[in-house]
Amino acid sequence: MTPPGIPDEAKTPRVSDSPDVPKSSAAGETGVRRLHPLTFVVGAVRELIALLAAGATGLAVGGLSTAFYFTLVGLGIGLVFHVASWATFTYALRDDRIELRRTLIGRSVKTIPRDRIRGVDVSTSLPHRTLGLAVVHIDAGSEGGEAALNAVSRREAERLRRVLLDRAADEPEGDAAPPRRVLARMRRRWYVYAPLSGAYLLTPFALAGSLLGTLYNLGDDLGLITRERVETVGHEVVGLPAAAVVALAVLALFALPVMSVIAFSLFNWDFTVEERNGSIVAERGLATRRSVSLERRRLRGVELADNPLERLGGVLRLGALVTGLGDAAHRGRLLPAAPRPVAEELAARVVGAVPGPLRPHPRAARGRRVVRAVAPPGAVGLLAVAAGRPWIAAACAVLALLAVPLGLDRYRQLGHVTDGERLSVRSGSLKRRQVVVEHGAIVGWRFRRTLFQRRLGLATLDVAVGAGDGGYPAIDMSEQDAVAFAAEITPDWVRPFLEK
Amino acid sequence: MRRDLHGDGGRSHPPRLRAPAHRVSPRAIAHWAIEYLLLWGLGFGLSLGVSAWLGDTEAEWLPGWLSDRVGVLPWAVGAAGLLMVTVAPVWRYRVHRWEVSADVVYTRTGWFSREWLLVPVSRIQTVDTEQGWIERLLGLATIEINTASHTGSSEVSGLPAGVATRLADDLAHRAHDLRDDAT
Repeated sequence: MTPPGIPDEAKTPRVSDSPDVPKSSAAGETGVRRLHPLTFVVGAVRELIALLAAGATGLAVGGLSTAFYFTLVGLGIGLVFHVASWATFTYALRDDRIELRRTLIGRSVKTIPRDRIRGVDVSTSLPHRTLGLAVVHIDAGSEGGEAALNAVSRREAERLRRVLLDRAADEPEGDAAPPRRVLARMRRRWYVYAPLSGAYLLTPFALAGSLLGTLYNLGDDLGLITRERVETVGHEVVGLPAAAVVALAVLALFALPVMSVIAFSLFNWDFTVEERNGSIVAERGLATRRSVSLERRRLRGVELADNPLERLGGVLRLGALVTGLGDAAHRGRLLPAAPRPVAEELAARVVGAVPGPLRPHPRAARGRRVVRAVAPPGAVGLLAVAAGRPWIAAACAVLALLAVPLGLDRYRQLGHVTDGERLSVRSGSLKRRQVVVEHGAIVGWRFRRTLFQRRLGLATLDVAVGAGDGGYPAIDMSEQDAVAFAAEITPDWVRPFLEK
Repeated sequence: MRRDLHGDGGRSHPPRLRAPAHRVSPRAIAHWAIEYLLLWGLGFGLSLGVSAWLGDTEAEWLPGWLSDRVGVLPWAVGAAGLLMVTVAPVWRYRVHRWEVSADVVYTRTGWFSREWLLVPVSRIQTVDTEQGWIERLLGLATIEINTASHTGSSEVSGLPAGVATRLADDLAHRAHDLRDDAT
């Protein structure tokens, strides 16, 4: 086996340029290709590591026990499986489509028309990188679904990305290297923003949990974990002096932000947004380097998100609204955390300036926001009173009180504006979100009015967009403003239906 | 492109949407009534079963004031169902309206809460007509207008089957001719 760590760069290009493949690859060549031969090695690496670790432990503990033989057999089966799946899989790039073919017992052919491809996503994990390989994900929107080439050489991945996303720019391409322009790059000190986002605070727990789970299962399989040993550990923990426990807890509390910075850096290391002929390419990651290409003409807007902590720090997360992009929350990410001016500048370079300032919504909307924030804990509290649970009722009362400022802030964050080319709507407090959408991307308007909204003269206007979530609401506008807003942006659609 | 409605001179009152031109078929009332009847009938049956079961077992995990009154549940459900079956269909009939202008499909739906939806024909991706078994009995059909966005997809139920088929054909045709690549 090839353990990760041995650089294989020298061998890679030769292997990938197998004889049946023309060296200069035009956009329309028709060669049938296989995945990279080293693929099965990578495919097996994960199992290998786990199995070898288990085998070594088994050897150390119980000699050449049955567990060890099982490990060997499992290893063999895994290798055979990976070799077989490598041998039976081919792909071919045709003029108008890409075909993925698997022939084992049955035969399956997946065809993706090239004009349906919306994004090509190249990722390299650590073992992939040491072997000079990369995984290519092809995203074809809702009609074609997804396909993965796991794995090809990195040169082939770059070529596929270029060719598959480049149908518009086929003609000028070929002579010069494609123009590259760095639009934004993560600065060192931005990694410190990680604890603000909250999500990364929990990652260490998830990692530790899965690690402990794996260790436990492994130990359990090998008979290392017995009832007595677990009990001993338990007694030792209980037996610790209270001061030590408190110290440990405090340590953990201080360690959390540090851990979150580490986790954040792992995922977002050297986050770079580049422009390469007609596509926006976002690259990130330390151990697994991931690069996502977004076709520029499908990029119809951006989303600026933050939470109250990030707002205090002046930090934003920037995402792209791309038509027909699956898993948009992860793939559409343009900046994981950056100061507001930087994020807004990148937004301006990608879709155009963020319109502003936002127009606030009418006062009648304020009461509605507060009521809707207070209602859930209030209702639970009333139920608890009826059921005779004073403690739960008290907790709910506190929550309901805290919900009042939350509702007020939710009202303050509401806003909408258009600058003639792009519109922007904003809502939310704990997870505030401002969306900027090109007028051309709008596919419809939906006005919603509940009985209560009708009494207050309010309406929620949903901007239907064929990208991102599909619709973005401007919550509780005044009724006339909602109609006027839609009529201002698309007069031809709305005017025929206005009251004379 | 950009026009400011408030600076428009002649328009003194704020803009409001008028109602779409056409009502759906009156038979739609029967359709919704049957649907509600089946749904709430099922709910009534279930609540009868639940109250009988709770009455037998004398569940101790329920607070006393609730288990004493569990017999009321089916009647509450029944009353709500009766109200739904008699009031909601007529109300919905009065709200549901549709109109297809030169290049926009305009619908109004709902009853308690209402929705006005404007979908331009140029953004339509697919147009489907559907008939459930109740609709087939009544000679009605539902037409579904899909765009790239779920929010921007509209559904008009309670149309006479002939009208729905003709409308779907017409829309699919015009959508094909007008389609631009906004999505």
